[in-house]
Amino acid sequence: MNALGQVVFLSLPFLFLLARKPVLRRLAFRNATRRPRETMLVLLGSLLGTAIITGSLIVGDTLDRSFRQAVYSHQGPIDELVETSAVPQAEIERRLAAVGSDDVDGLLPITTAAAAVIAGDKAEPNATIVEVDFARAAAFGADPDSTGIEGPTPAPGRVVITEDLAEMVDVDAGDRVVVAAYGKRLDVTVDRVVERKGIAGFRLSPGSEAFNVVVGPGTIASLTAGGPPGATLPNTYVAVSNTGGVVDGAALTDTVVRQLRPALEGVPAGIIEVKQDTLEYSELQGKQFTELFVGIGFFSVLAGILLLVNIFVMLAQERKTELGMLRAVGMRRASLVGGFSLEGWLYALASSALGMVAGLGVGRLIVVVASSIFSNPGEIFSLELQYAATLESALAGFAGGFTMSLLVVVTTSVWIARLNVIRAIRDLPDPPRSRTQQVLGLAVGAVLTALGGVLAVAGIGGEVPSLVLIGPALLAVGVVLLLRRLVPFRPLVTAASAVVIVFSITAFDLFPDAFETAEIPVFVVMGVILNAAAVILVSFNQRRIGSFVRRIGGGSENMPLRLGLAYPLAKLFRTGMILSMYALVVFTLVFMTVFSHLFAQQVESFTQKVSGGFDVRVDSNPTSPIPVEAAAAMPGVAGVAPITNALAEFEPRCPKCPKDFVDWPAGTFDRRLIDAGPPAIAERPPGLRDDRAVYEALLRDPNAIVPTQFFLQEGGGPPTWTAELGDLVVIRNPETGATRELRVLALAESGFGNLTAMVAPQTMQELFGPTRSSPNTLFVTAAAGVDVDELATSINGRFIESGSDARSFRSIVELNLGQQKQFFRLIQGYLALGLVVGIAGLGVVMVRSVRERRREVGVLRSLGFEAGAVRKAFIAESAFVALEGIVIGTALALVTSWRLVGNETFGATLKFAVPLGSLAVLTIGTFVASLIATAAPAQQASRIKPAVALRIAD
Amino acid sequence: MPLLEAVRVHKSYKTGADAVDALKGIDLAIEPGEFVSVMGPSGSGKTTLLNCLSGLDGIDEGKVLLDGESIHEMTDAKRTRHRAESMGFIFQAFNLIPVFTATENVELPLLLAGKPAKAARAAAIETLGRVGLGHRLDHRPTELSGGEQQRVTIARALAGRPRIVWADEPTGNLDSETAASVMSLLAELHTEGLTLVLVTHDQEIGASAQRRIVVRDGVVVDDERLR
Repeated sequence: MNALGQVVFLSLPFLFLLARKPVLRRLAFRNATRRPRETMLVLLGSLLGTAIITGSLIVGDTLDRSFRQAVYSHQGPIDELVETSAVPQAEIERRLAAVGSDDVDGLLPITTAAAAVIAGDKAEPNATIVEVDFARAAAFGADPDSTGIEGPTPAPGRVVITEDLAEMVDVDAGDRVVVAAYGKRLDVTVDRVVERKGIAGFRLSPGSEAFNVVVGPGTIASLTAGGPPGATLPNTYVAVSNTGGVVDGAALTDTVVRQLRPALEGVPAGIIEVKQDTLEYSELQGKQFTELFVGIGFFSVLAGILLLVNIFVMLAQERKTELGMLRAVGMRRASLVGGFSLEGWLYALASSALGMVAGLGVGRLIVVVASSIFSNPGEIFSLELQYAATLESALAGFAGGFTMSLLVVVTTSVWIARLNVIRAIRDLPDPPRSRTQQVLGLAVGAVLTALGGVLAVAGIGGEVPSLVLIGPALLAVGVVLLLRRLVPFRPLVTAASAVVIVFSITAFDLFPDAFETAEIPVFVVMGVILNAAAVILVSFNQRRIGSFVRRIGGGSENMPLRLGLAYPLAKLFRTGMILSMYALVVFTLVFMTVFSHLFAQQVESFTQKVSGGFDVRVDSNPTSPIPVEAAAAMPGVAGVAPITNALAEFEPRCPKCPKDFVDWPAGTFDRRLIDAGPPAIAERPPGLRDDRAVYEALLRDPNAIVPTQFFLQEGGGPPTWTAELGDLVVIRNPETGATRELRVLALAESGFGNLTAMVAPQTMQELFGPTRSSPNTLFVTAAAGVDVDELATSINGRFIESGSDARSFRSIVELNLGQQKQFFRLIQGYLALGLVVGIAGLGVVMVRSVRERRREVGVLRSLGFEAGAVRKAFIAESAFVALEGIVIGTALALVTSWRLVGNETFGATLKFAVPLGSLAVLTIGTFVASLIATAAPAQQASRIKPAVALRIAD
Repeated sequence: MPLLEAVRVHKSYKTGADAVDALKGIDLAIEPGEFVSVMGPSGSGKTTLLNCLSGLDGIDEGKVLLDGESIHEMTDAKRTRHRAESMGFIFQAFNLIPVFTATENVELPLLLAGKPAKAARAAAIETLGRVGLGHRLDHRPTELSGGEQQRVTIARALAGRPRIVWADEPTGNLDSETAASVMSLLAELHTEGLTLVLVTHDQEIGASAQRRIVVRDGVVVDDERLR
């Protein structure tokens, strides 16, 4: 059922009531419009949940579209690429054409080579030369426009460049540029600047920009002749276009690959399913980001639900007498539920529609902020976010919010309709539990105890982290229900809540295996359980807490404080709801603040770990790697260690491992790396005494591999597999298909800018040879007293034609941590929406409290309570609740993050620390905002005229 | 010198575009220790008179003097303090604070008048005992019967030993038996020197006072000393 269908289906009973029950219709509409200001408050409280759900879905849409854009900007009609350097492209093309597939509408040879492009004092070190026959390229596939190629092949000495490159080196048509590759310089004129599209924008790695120089056939061959040692060969492909458009052609990929593979039998050529991979990657990214934002937004949504429950319970309490009277004059319980639910249905419908619109704005806001994080032109990864909001997502957000609101409304209505007529009219408290209720309580207790036990055992045994947390929590609830007649209730609940809190915090220590692959939903479950248990614990001990606060606040003589505390202590359910809202939101915000801080302060340790004994990392084009000797001869350079790189494919071998080869960089090294101090090892086998010993062993063992801790982890979600010592991994040359099985010898520290999996030189040589591997990374040690950043700049200037990209290890770490911090900020901003829910909720509750207590305020004023004291009492009330919520959320978040850091859930490098400054801003800011939200209702209360209040009430 | 004196008191209410004259130049004096009943039909201005005389509500014209001081010329804070120190109130709907126990409700005006907490607690307990609720000290209003709630209200009104107690239909929500017991309690307190102004539309209760004032259409139409 689609989203709109779901809304209509859920609305059917209410539409029936609207059409057939005029009394209920009248009641619902009149109550909903009776107090427009309060109706607005109800709508405001209800719409935030929908806004957050919709916003999360919009983020997913945006990520999906942004990555998906690559199929238009980097591929166009290209659906598959056949890659080979051992066989001429013409031969591959002949074989493929001979298949005569009806599903293929074009073949096109494409050759690429990495290059540096220089124009005056501007340079782009990571440019790509794309060589095609312009006439064939323009006619390739079904839609010529999608190729991005138009016009004739540029004359010798002229090139076509993409807009991205033109912008980066600041040139236009007619300007001259130098294209450097294979140790040669091509001094050429820009013939024309083209859009980043299709073949002109050809790019295989994820990211938005394409710094391409598009040239005619023979250009790259003229560069490679007599190239420098260590240079890799150009990448030679035959592109295949499936029948159909840019996107829908990918549906035929499986069929086409099946048809073409036999034609490549015996030829060292690999097929890259480039379009399908991109589409799958886009969908995965969109899904993962939606899950991320829905996951972290769940806390805010939950806060919204709690607010809604609170609003409806207050609404019902306010109308208790009226509802009791309706029952007394003969309205059936079902009709009462119907009438109240109908009013709620109106609120749910209106608030979900408004929430959906607000959600589009929330999504837009996130995208604007996220754009600055993702967009890093010139860096290895850069993505231009393109805001996208599909109707499907908007409707899904609307339906999600509507369903949630309606569920709350109907449940509350059913609960309210259980009221006893006389008790309602006279506003009497509920009687003691009947025998039937007691027996029912015992039965529920027994079921929950059994269920909790089973879930806990299943969770621990099956390593399902959510169940490890949920099981014991249910067990505790069950035990409380079973023992409530035997043990005093308050101590029993207190003990049970405390046990659940302690267990939830230490579960990661107690059952590390179960939590090894914990995903975001597990943290959501943990947060909810922890906060619920803490709020229950506090609620059942509120009177003691209240007494303590009263005592330190001046005792009985401080009347505003006394009165301010009296209401939250008497209305425990309502207080519990507000507390939960605050605690949940503050918990997530503090948690995120702590981890943001922890990661940000790791610059020194990360730098030390990834750099080993080196200061500067230099990457250059594989087509013209910087000669080691030339780099070593630079002034200020004390030593150089080369790393030889190749783009390999890896597949882990284990029963549960994902069965798919993943592109991942492989590298090898020589003694110079070991001598100067290699990057740190995170985990090594007991037989190897130190990090150097690991690299020594790897040098000798062609069957070993030392990847980083992030090995084969792609996308934003949790890893599907993490490498461990002794694991088997297969490495493959994507072009030749040659493989070798390797065993994980050790795990290197996960280092920013260095994800390379290290293998033995022999392995690299055998699988990739000199033509597919290049020593294009250099680790440089600066001479004593040399400024490393200045050294990096001078290396870049000296080797500009090699596409030199030299940076100090420290600046690499700082750049990456900076981006990470920005991302944390984005998440914090998103979570702060929950804070808005909480604070607005407190304001809404206080506004309603003022109305609810008009008569009492009138009495107090008549007894001598000054206007200022009334104001102070309301402020004290909200301050107490807000403070409790803030303390609960902050304490739980600090303890939980302390444990998670302590047991190395987020890696061994993190050291726990409390960001006092940020926490002070967060908690004090929240507290002050809460007081501000209460200021208006408190002022309103203080202005209540005693005679008027008493007259109205009586 | 009268304890309370009202001079040409006018009060009107605006209901939409219309103004309703609730009190039209009331002149009145209440001596210390008097038990005055204020009677009249519904809407005659009885409650408005009580509210204006006690300072709960403002007046448009005239003045109300308590011990010679004009209460409507005081600031809101001073008038409020004055109420806490010298007045007690008994309402038809009891108007107890639902989240406070009986003791806490009774000690409330004492604390507001600045009495130390211990003394206030002791006085509250003593007064509750006096109205026959010594066994209900820690009960909340919802746990008490209507008669008991009204007794708590009376205790609250008396605990601070006020100069004057205002009672607005104190038996209106009670059955006849409970109403009689409440009235006998008030009468007993009056004999001990309490100044009591009681608004009622019950002839029998009105007749139990020393002096009966009848209000109709915002003016005093009868002021009769009954005993």
